[in-house]
Amino acid sequence: MVEARVAQLTGVYAASALGRGADAQLAGVLAGVPAFGPVGRFDTAARRVTVAATLPEVGPLPDELADAVDSACRAAGLDRAQRAGCALLLAVHGGPAAGPAPAVLAGQLAARCGLSGHTRVYTSACVSASTAVADAAAQITRGDVERVVVAAGYLVEPDQFALFDAGRALAADGAVRPFSAGRRGLLLGDGVAAVVLESSAGHRRGAEPLATVAGWGRAGDAFHPCQPEPGGVGLARAVDGALRRAGLPPQAVGYVNANATGTAQSDAAEAAALRRALGGHAARVPVSSTKSVHGHALEASGLLELVVTALALRHGELPVNAGWRGPDDSCPLNVVTGHPQKTETTHALTLNAAFGGANTALLVGVG
Amino acid sequence: MIAPHTPRSCTFCPDESHKPPGTTTETARAPGERAGERARAAWPEGGDAGGSAPGVPGFVHSDFAPVVVAVAERCLRRGYGSAGVPAGVRTAIVLVTASGDLASAQHVRATVEAGGRIGPLFFFQSVPNSVAGHLTARWDLRGPVVCLSPTGDPYADGVAEADLLRDDGDADEVLLILIEQAPDRPTEAVAVLLGGGARP
Repeated sequence: MVEARVAQLTGVYAASALGRGADAQLAGVLAGVPAFGPVGRFDTAARRVTVAATLPEVGPLPDELADAVDSACRAAGLDRAQRAGCALLLAVHGGPAAGPAPAVLAGQLAARCGLSGHTRVYTSACVSASTAVADAAAQITRGDVERVVVAAGYLVEPDQFALFDAGRALAADGAVRPFSAGRRGLLLGDGVAAVVLESSAGHRRGAEPLATVAGWGRAGDAFHPCQPEPGGVGLARAVDGALRRAGLPPQAVGYVNANATGTAQSDAAEAAALRRALGGHAARVPVSSTKSVHGHALEASGLLELVVTALALRHGELPVNAGWRGPDDSCPLNVVTGHPQKTETTHALTLNAAFGGANTALLVGVG
Repeated sequence: MIAPHTPRSCTFCPDESHKPPGTTTETARAPGERAGERARAAWPEGGDAGGSAPGVPGFVHSDFAPVVVAVAERCLRRGYGSAGVPAGVRTAIVLVTASGDLASAQHVRATVEAGGRIGPLFFFQSVPNSVAGHLTARWDLRGPVVCLSPTGDPYADGVAEADLLRDDGDADEVLLILIEQAPDRPTEAVAVLLGGGARP
C-alpha cells in the first residue's frame, strides 16, 4: 500500500519585533509582553496612532527575505544542490513598491537562494501567506512537487500605516486586545518568515520535521468588500476544510491561534465561526491571538503565525493572549490569559482572514 | 485595446507573432477552444470605445475597481445569464494583476510624502481583495479569494492557480480576472469563467 504524502515543515525561520529567529519568536509569544512602541522608522506626526511593533534594526525587505529563506533552508538541512528545483511561493504587498516589483523580487530571491523551481507571488492581503502555505501543501500531497519554500514579508512602512490610520483601524490606546472587552483595533508589526515544506515521501535526511501541515482550507464570505460576515460562515467553512483534509474531528483541535486582530466586529465574527465549526468544543479549546504581542504583519501574518503556532505546539506551551481586560459577551471562548498554558495536544489551528471576505485555516500537527 | 476574440492582440496573452502560421499554444487558441473556459469577457469591448466603466459604490479616484467589476459581471452574465450562480456552487475569484490599483497607490504615496492625510475610502481599496469582495457579495460567490502578481504569463499563472483550487476541492469553478492599469494607456482587463463542467 502506498503511504499518503504529508506536507512536513522541515525548516522554519521568522523575524519580528519579538526578535530574530525561531527561538526569539517562541520566547516572545510565551512571555506575552507586547512589542509595541513608538515608530521611529518614519514620521508619524500626522497620524492618529503612532505605535507599531518594529524590529530596531532592519534591512531592506529583499535582504530580510533572502536571510529568512537561507535560514529556513539551513534549518531544514538543505544544501545548495537540494535547493535546486525547489519552488518558491512568496507573499508580499502587491502593486507599486519602494523596492523591486513583486515578480522581480520573487525572481531575485529565488536566484539569490538557489531555488530554481516555479515561483508564484500572492498579494491577497492578510491571507496571502496562509493561502501560499495551503497551495504548497496541496501541491506536495497531490505529488506535483517534493519541496516548496514559502516566504513572506511585511515591514511597517509609511503608506500602509497611513492607510490603516485613515481607516481608523489602529488601536488608539496603543494595545491589541483580541476577544477582550474594550478592544479598540489592531496595530501593525514587522514580520518576515520562511518555511520549507517537504513531502513525507521525499524527506529522507534524518532530521525530524518540526510539524506537519495536516489540513488546510480556503473559503469566501460572499458578504462585503472589507467587513467579515458576522456569522463566521466563510471562516467556518475554511476550518471544516482543514479538519476534513486531516481526517480529524473538531475535538482533536487542542489550540487555536486566532486571526483576531483586536477589532470589535472581526473578533466577534471569528468567535461565531469557531462555534459554527467546532460546536461545543469552541467554548473549551484554548484560544489566543499572537498578534497581541507581535502585531499584524499583513501579507506575512499567516506565515509568522504558522511558525509560532508550530513552535508552541512542539514546545508544549500555548501563547498568551496579551492585552486582556476581561471577557466580552460576543466572544465566548476559552482565551489563554495571564500565563502560557501547558499542553500535550498534537493539533492546532491557525486562522487568517482578509478584506474581500477571504478566509484560511491551517491545521498544524506534531508528534 | 483588448479585442476579446483576437487573443494575439491581448495584453494578457503571450506574443505569438514570431510563430509560424498554424501553430498554437494554450493561450493562443480561440477562446472557445481553450480548455475549461465557459465564458469570457474583456474591458473594453467594441461597444465600450472611449467610455468609462460604471462607478462602484465605496471605490474612488481610480478606474481599477470599476473595470474589475465591469469585466467580471460581463463574464458572469455570459456564463449564467440573469439567473446568477446556482446555490451550492463555490465560485472562487483569482485576480491577477502586476500593477494593482496603480492610480490609488500613487495618490497615497504622493499624499503621504507631502505629509497629508488620506481619505478613509483609500484604506478600503488598498488591496485587490476589496473589489473581489464587492463581486462575491453581489453574486454570492463563496469560493476562495486569491490575488496574484504574475511571475510569468498572467493567464497561465491564473489558470494554474484556478486548476489547483478546483483540483484541491475548495472551488467548483473559478472566475479568473486579469487586469493591468498604466499611467499612459486605458485600463484593460479580461475575465474568464473556468470549470464547473468537465475538468480539463
